[in-house]
Amino acid sequence: MNKRIVTTALASAMLLGVVLLSGCQDVSTELKAPKYKTGIAETETRMSAFKGQFPQQYASYMKNNEDKIMTDYKGSVPYHKNDNVNPLPKGFKHAQPYLKNLWLGYPFMYEYNETRGHTYAIDDFVNIDRINRFAADGKGNLPATCWNCKTPKMMEWVAQYGDKFWSMDVNEFRAKDKISAHDETIGCANCHDPATMELRLYSEPLKDWLKRSGKDWQKMSRNEKRTLVCAQCHVEYYFTHKDNGPAAKPVFPWDNGFNPEDMYQYYKGHGAKGPDGRPGPFADWVHAASKVPMIKMQHPEYETFQDGPHGAAGVSCADCHMQYVREDGKKISSHWMTSPMKDPEMRACRQCHADKTGEYLRQRVLYTQQKTFDQLLKAQEMSVKAHEAVRLANAYEGHRAANYEALMAEARDMVRKGQLFWDYVSAENSVGFHNPAKALDTLMTSMECSQKAVDLATEATDFGIAPALAGDIKKLVPPILTLSRKLQQDPEFLKQNPWTKLLPALPKAEQVWEGQNRLTSQAGQDK
Amino acid sequence: MGTPRNGPWLKWLLGGVAAGVVLMGVLAYAMTTTDQRPFCASCHIMQEAAVTQKMGTHANLSCNDCHAPHNLLVKLPFKAQEGLRDVVGNIMGHDIPRPLSLRTRDVVNANCKACHTQTNINVASMDAKPYCVDCHKGVAHMRMKPISTRTVAYE
Repeated sequence: MNKRIVTTALASAMLLGVVLLSGCQDVSTELKAPKYKTGIAETETRMSAFKGQFPQQYASYMKNNEDKIMTDYKGSVPYHKNDNVNPLPKGFKHAQPYLKNLWLGYPFMYEYNETRGHTYAIDDFVNIDRINRFAADGKGNLPATCWNCKTPKMMEWVAQYGDKFWSMDVNEFRAKDKISAHDETIGCANCHDPATMELRLYSEPLKDWLKRSGKDWQKMSRNEKRTLVCAQCHVEYYFTHKDNGPAAKPVFPWDNGFNPEDMYQYYKGHGAKGPDGRPGPFADWVHAASKVPMIKMQHPEYETFQDGPHGAAGVSCADCHMQYVREDGKKISSHWMTSPMKDPEMRACRQCHADKTGEYLRQRVLYTQQKTFDQLLKAQEMSVKAHEAVRLANAYEGHRAANYEALMAEARDMVRKGQLFWDYVSAENSVGFHNPAKALDTLMTSMECSQKAVDLATEATDFGIAPALAGDIKKLVPPILTLSRKLQQDPEFLKQNPWTKLLPALPKAEQVWEGQNRLTSQAGQDK
Repeated sequence: MGTPRNGPWLKWLLGGVAAGVVLMGVLAYAMTTTDQRPFCASCHIMQEAAVTQKMGTHANLSCNDCHAPHNLLVKLPFKAQEGLRDVVGNIMGHDIPRPLSLRTRDVVNANCKACHTQTNINVASMDAKPYCVDCHKGVAHMRMKPISTRTVAYE
């Protein structure tokens, strides 16, 4: 009897021991990301092709369709970013009223909205007023380059047309038979190799930059890749001038560095070739009020972030914007790329700042955003005043300073530099948070340059324009609240604001494109 | 009643002692094993904690050298309760709570001090903050290391 007890005890003890020993192996510190053989072709561009094998990632990607939640300064409601008069969804309290003034003469003045998620990239693109939808020949008057950050189909098109693609008309690819707005918007294939799901690059300008700077994608760490796939698009870029290479090919202006001063210096070249055969200054457009050749900055998220507190510490974009979540017990990267501020618990931040509460972290972010936004508004007003000073000085017929031309040349350069610096922060999508010190430094420099422009233009006119510049800028140059291609066809409308008066009225025309649909017959005008 | 030498009473006594020794051995073995990283890491939710602990300066310690009281009488109910909570969390797919519960924090803090006694005696500013990890954050689990170096999908 006692033998049986002892035997049973021993047996169960051994069993327990075996279970404990065999079931548990120590962890490996070599982390291995999951590997796949999907059987999907490397050239696949449709998102739906991935749904079956990756239902959880697909479902989380579909959360990018959320377009109702606002954070304190940003969010996903596509309001007009210059409209601080109307409430959501048309306008928003933290809008910047002078955007249309600052981009006067450039398609950005027609429409510039808060961005929605990746899933809307094509929807919003084919409905934006920046692309001309009124030309009888159906052309958009912008290069096809604009498609670069809207769809993985770029790989197909670049392979098909080569460098000729970039200077084709943007509207040649907008119809439904060219692209599926929802299945071929920015999706899986923009960052993943469909066959293995390894991270890969599709974007020509980023691949070109890596080549130019001697970096090899294959040798990069997973951490670097988790940032660079985003840097395929969330960066400043420009379209190559035809004198310097394949016309309209996108290039990242990073050869001097990632900061606004580096870019300002870079854009002193890379424009049309002068009589001496060397490239002159590059310009995106000429401002309609001041006639200054301008640069438009576009969302330099990567450039801002890479040497900020988080970027310098080696944090990657995906760490915060694609946080790990557990779905049905499985740990996946959330493919809802959005602001961590939308989560009341700020869980994305607490992956590292584990000891802090959500509310504390939110207040820390707002601390930076509020200060940045306040200065952003001031820099914007200074920039408007600088344009107005140069406009007045251009037309000034009273006594001019002996060195008028030299002073004006410098004034114009300061207008250009001031606005480039302002736009570097304005177009960046974190309201300073990605790099607080750089954001405030850049805005300070912007204001310094704009003030210099005012001073120089005033001096050039022997202070003759000074009285006309005195007083509140909002009264001298009221913000342009509404403007579109359609409204620009109405000469009466243009008379309502001192700066829209400076725009030529467009010929009366009916809308030719509505989304992906051609409204008028294309007979007789096809290529 | 037979002689004590041959009586069933002695047999029972010796058998009982032998069984007791074996049982104690088994229990001690089970207790130690379930204190260790390989056992803890067999739950999904403990992967990141295990990986980062192995990379750090405390890699040679067991999980429960820090995460359970050292006094056996206090340890037993604590371990049973917290262990059960982790098992349930793992089954339900909940990640470990961050920050840790106050109770666990106190236990961990006492264990920091138990080993680092001399520091505790010699350094004047030891009471600057309530918990050691208020300043020495990330010492054990490297929460400030880039996320891709401490965790992956599907673990």
